[in-house]
Amino acid sequence: MSILTRNIIISLVITVVLIGTVVYAINYLNQQRVAQLNTIEDQLSTDTLSVETQYALLENAPCSDFTNGSSTEDTLLSQEVSSLGDKLSYTESKLGSTDPQVLQLKDQYTLLEIRDYLLTEQLSKTCNLKPTIVLYFYSNNTGSCNTECDQASADLQYLRQTYPSIRVYSFDYNLDLAALKTLETVEKVRPTFPAFVINNKQYYGYTSLSDFEKDFPPSLFATSTTASTTAITAKK
Amino acid sequence: MSLEVLTYPFIFIAVFFEVFLLVTFLSEPATERRKQQLSPKTPPVAVIVPCWNEEKTIQGTVESLLALDYPKEKLSIVLVDDGSTDNTAAVMDEYQGHPQIQVIHKENGGKHTAVNLGIERSPQAEFVGCLDADSFVEPDALREIIGYFDDPKVGAVTAAMSVHEPKRWIEKMQHADYIHGITMRHVISSLNGLYVTPGPFSFYRRDIILEVGGFQKGHSTEDLEMALRLQRAGYLIENAPRARVYTKTPITVPSLIKQRTRWTTGFLRNVVYDYWDMVGNPKFGTLGIIMLPLGLLANVSGILMFFVIIVQFVLNLIHGLIISRGLPLSYLLTPHLQNFTWFYIPLTAVLLFSLITIIMGVTIMLLGKRISKTPGNLVIGIIAYLTIYGFIAPFWLMRSVYDLATGTKRAWR
Repeated sequence: MSILTRNIIISLVITVVLIGTVVYAINYLNQQRVAQLNTIEDQLSTDTLSVETQYALLENAPCSDFTNGSSTEDTLLSQEVSSLGDKLSYTESKLGSTDPQVLQLKDQYTLLEIRDYLLTEQLSKTCNLKPTIVLYFYSNNTGSCNTECDQASADLQYLRQTYPSIRVYSFDYNLDLAALKTLETVEKVRPTFPAFVINNKQYYGYTSLSDFEKDFPPSLFATSTTASTTAITAKK
Repeated sequence: MSLEVLTYPFIFIAVFFEVFLLVTFLSEPATERRKQQLSPKTPPVAVIVPCWNEEKTIQGTVESLLALDYPKEKLSIVLVDDGSTDNTAAVMDEYQGHPQIQVIHKENGGKHTAVNLGIERSPQAEFVGCLDADSFVEPDALREIIGYFDDPKVGAVTAAMSVHEPKRWIEKMQHADYIHGITMRHVISSLNGLYVTPGPFSFYRRDIILEVGGFQKGHSTEDLEMALRLQRAGYLIENAPRARVYTKTPITVPSLIKQRTRWTTGFLRNVVYDYWDMVGNPKFGTLGIIMLPLGLLANVSGILMFFVIIVQFVLNLIHGLIISRGLPLSYLLTPHLQNFTWFYIPLTAVLLFSLITIIMGVTIMLLGKRISKTPGNLVIGIIAYLTIYGFIAPFWLMRSVYDLATGTKRAWR
C-alpha cells in the first residue's frame, strides 16, 4: 500500500471518529439537558405539593400568616416554573417538538403549570389577592401560528420581567393531555392562535405590543416596576 | 431542512483535508525532509528577477540576492526589465558592470517572456531560480534549496514564503495565511502534490525547463502552469521548508481581492481548460486525487458557506426584528445574564466542526512557523485570519468563477 493510500485511509478513519465524537457530544449534552429538566420537574413537583399541603394546613388560618410566611417561597416556585419553561422551550428547539422526551417533559411541565395556576387562583380568592394571570395558548402546527406566536412570546417575556405581578402560563394547545384539554374547555379557549386568557377573559390574535397591552388591566401599568416586587402584590 | 445541512459535506472535506495534512506531516517522507541538512554542493545557478514597475523594491531584492551565502562565481543574477514605465530601469542600471549581475531591458511582453529571456541568457547555470522583484531572501535560502535537487527527477524546488515585515492587519492576516501555506507545501511536496511553483524563489533544473518548452503565459499564472506541466511530464516538485523568502503583499482589501482573483482564476482556467485530464487521475497521485479535486471544491464550498452564513444571518436578523418589534430598546439592550448557564451553550455540529477546523488550522500555522523558523509574532495575524479572511475570500472566489464562466480578462494590477 502506498503512503498516499495509507494516509488517506488513516485520515478518513480519524475524520469519522471526529464526526462520531461530535455527534456523541451533542447527543450527550442534549441528554444532560433532559436529565436536568427531569430533576427540576421532580423537585418542582415536590415543591408544589409542599405548598399545596402547606396551604391546606393553613386553610383556616389568617391569610396574613400564609402570605407572610410563604410569599417568598411561593414567588421562588413560580420563578422556577418560569425558568423551567425557558429551558424546556430551548430543549424543544434543539430536539424538535415531536421528540418523545420533549413531549413527555412538556406533559409534566404542563401539569406543573396547571397546578401552580390553580394554587394561585385559590390563594387569590382566599386572601383577596389580585395578580394578573395570563394563560397563553400557542400551537406548533405548521401554519397555525408562526410569527405571531413568537412575537406574543417575546412580548409576554418582556411584560413578565417588567411587571413581576404578571403570571404567565404557556400551553401547547395541541398537547395530548387530559388535564390541558379540561383547562381549555373550562376556560372556553378556541383553537385560534395565539390565544390568551387574561384574568379569565379570552383574547385572540396578535398585532402589536401596544394593542396587546390594552388587554391588560390598566392598574397593572400603574404599579411599581421594581424587579423585587413579589408575584402577588395585593394583600388583604 | 435547515440551510446548515448544505454545509455538512464541505465541512467533512475541510476536516478530512486538515487531518490529512497533519497525518502526512507525521509520515516518514515529511519527517525525512525536515531532517535534511544544508547541502555542501554549490552547482552554478542563476537567479532571474523579472521586473515591471518595481522601482521601490528592486534594490532591496537585489541586495538580498547579493547577500546569499553562496560562492559568488557560482551565482549569477539576471535582472530583466519587462518594459517598466517608472524608474525601475534606472535603478537596475546602477548594477550595470557588477560581476555577478546582468541587466537586460526589453519591451513589455509579460512575466513569462522576461523569465524565458533570463533563462536563455544563463547558459552556464545548472539551476535557474526566479525571484519576484518585491521579494527578499534569507542568506541561507539557496543552500537550503540546492540539496533537494540531488534526485535527478526533481524538476523544481519551492521555498517557504511569508510576508515581508507585516505591519498592517491585512499584511499580518496574509502572513498567517502564508505560514499555513508553508506547512501545506512542505507536507504536500513530500507526496509530490504541489501544483504551483511560486514566483518568490522557486528553482528549476534548467535543462528540464527547456525540455518542457519554457514558461508560458498560463492564464496570467505562469508559475502554476509550469508546475502542472512539470507534473504532467513526470517530474517531481520539492519544497525546502527552511528556505525563507519574504514578499510584499497587497495592503488594501480591493488590491488583495484583485491579486487573489488572478491566482484563483489562473488555477481554474489552467485546470479546467488545459489540465483537466489530471483531475481525479490516480496516475498523478496526491495531485490528481487530492489537490486538484479539493482545489476545485474549495471554490464551491467557499462561496456556498458564505451564502449560507449570510442568508442565515439575515433570516435570524429579520426574525429577531419582527419578534422584538415594539419592545423598548432599553429592554432589548439589557443583557439577561440569568440565562447564561451551561444549559444554554449553543453547541451544534457546525460550531463544533468549525472549532475543530480552527484548532487544526492554527496548529498547522504554528507548525509552519516552527519548521521554517520564520521570525515574528503570529497572534494578530491568526486573529485577523480567523475573523476576517473568511468574509473576504468569497469575493475573489465569486469573481474568479464569474471570470471563468464569462471569459473576463482582468489587468495584472
